[in-house]
Amino acid sequence: MVHLIINGKVAQAEEGEMLLTVIRRQGIEIPALCHHEAVEPFGACRLCTVEITKEEWNGWKNHVTSCLYPVESNLIVNTHSPTVIELRKTLIDLLLARCPNSLKIRQLAEEYGITKTSYEEIPDADNCILCGLCTRICDQMGFDAISTVDRGHGKRVAPPFDEAPPDCVGCLACALNCPTNVIEFTDEGNYRTIWKKQFELITCAKCGKKTITKEFAEVLSESRNIPMSYFEICDECHRKELAQAMGGICSWSREAVS
Amino acid sequence: MKSRFVVTPNLCTGCRTCELACSFAHAIDGKLGKSRITVLNGGMKDLWIPVVCLQCDDPACVKSCLVDALRRNPETGAVELNQEKCVKCMACVAACPFGCSLFDEQHDMVVKCDLCGGDPVCAHFCPSEALSLKPITENQPHRQQMPTSAPSTVK
Repeated sequence: MVHLIINGKVAQAEEGEMLLTVIRRQGIEIPALCHHEAVEPFGACRLCTVEITKEEWNGWKNHVTSCLYPVESNLIVNTHSPTVIELRKTLIDLLLARCPNSLKIRQLAEEYGITKTSYEEIPDADNCILCGLCTRICDQMGFDAISTVDRGHGKRVAPPFDEAPPDCVGCLACALNCPTNVIEFTDEGNYRTIWKKQFELITCAKCGKKTITKEFAEVLSESRNIPMSYFEICDECHRKELAQAMGGICSWSREAVS
Repeated sequence: MKSRFVVTPNLCTGCRTCELACSFAHAIDGKLGKSRITVLNGGMKDLWIPVVCLQCDDPACVKSCLVDALRRNPETGAVELNQEKCVKCMACVAACPFGCSLFDEQHDMVVKCDLCGGDPVCAHFCPSEALSLKPITENQPHRQQMPTSAPSTVK
């Protein structure tokens, strides 16, 4: 167990935990766009930067990304010091220049009192902040269908050779967890299209509701040993089936009583 | 003392108080949550079945989760979903053979019964004891065995 001070209050943490997790557990809100508990911390957006110091540092301070900083005992953390706010404002200002059309970035900017970026806006902005959350989640799930390509100005997220990725199963985890919602996908009729690849959605055999893609179900069935028949009907029809089955059992005992 | 959450469908009146209690208990920021328990008709007049997660011994939802967001809580025995870790891929919703992993559209998250951390709210509100918490005594089987066929002699 490690004891540290966050914004003047003593907090407890487990050895090896990252600072951001502890800060959030204390109920302190700090922005972090590239962070997700399912994947390893990456430190791409830098918004979770906090000020740290220790008594023995004689007044010296350091600014670190809290998502990547393991907790230390006797650490004194300030999540909203004037310099941290200044740093965060600059980062948001830069993000706003990169993604002027992103609702989330604009809301974040408004929270920090920025209405217009002081930098030059990118003319054909794609709203991607290159945090790599999509690629990391895809990797974590074991598909690794997309990755960042090129370097510098040309860096972007794309499937290999910009073609329909063979490893993608259309689970939408990348699109649904993108902090700026830039990954496009469409669910039309029986088909889902993402990364220029078309997937057939499973249609509930009873009510016709669309569930996950066939490819995803096949992968789950093979790798996790789940019978393919589980995926045939939707969750609602599964519940109805269970009710019918249990109803049958109950009716026997009712007959027995009467 | 260890207790067990027992569902007795024959006592259910179909009043759906459990659904209300569940929704209120899982409200976020004043918005009602999706009820983890559903009362459905069992195929006969006045036969109501409260359908709720069975906390399977070998859960398909846990097997289907590719990011380890679903884990069994050793203290309560409930399979719990870590919302922070969930990537909303809907694998568990599709894989559960009893349809007890649900998607809450209003809060945009996947939800499932976690037995309210060991003290289910629905059991407290059930007026007819169809849902109840019963203490576990020694020498009791882990799970009550369901009959697989109709009784041969009907009195």
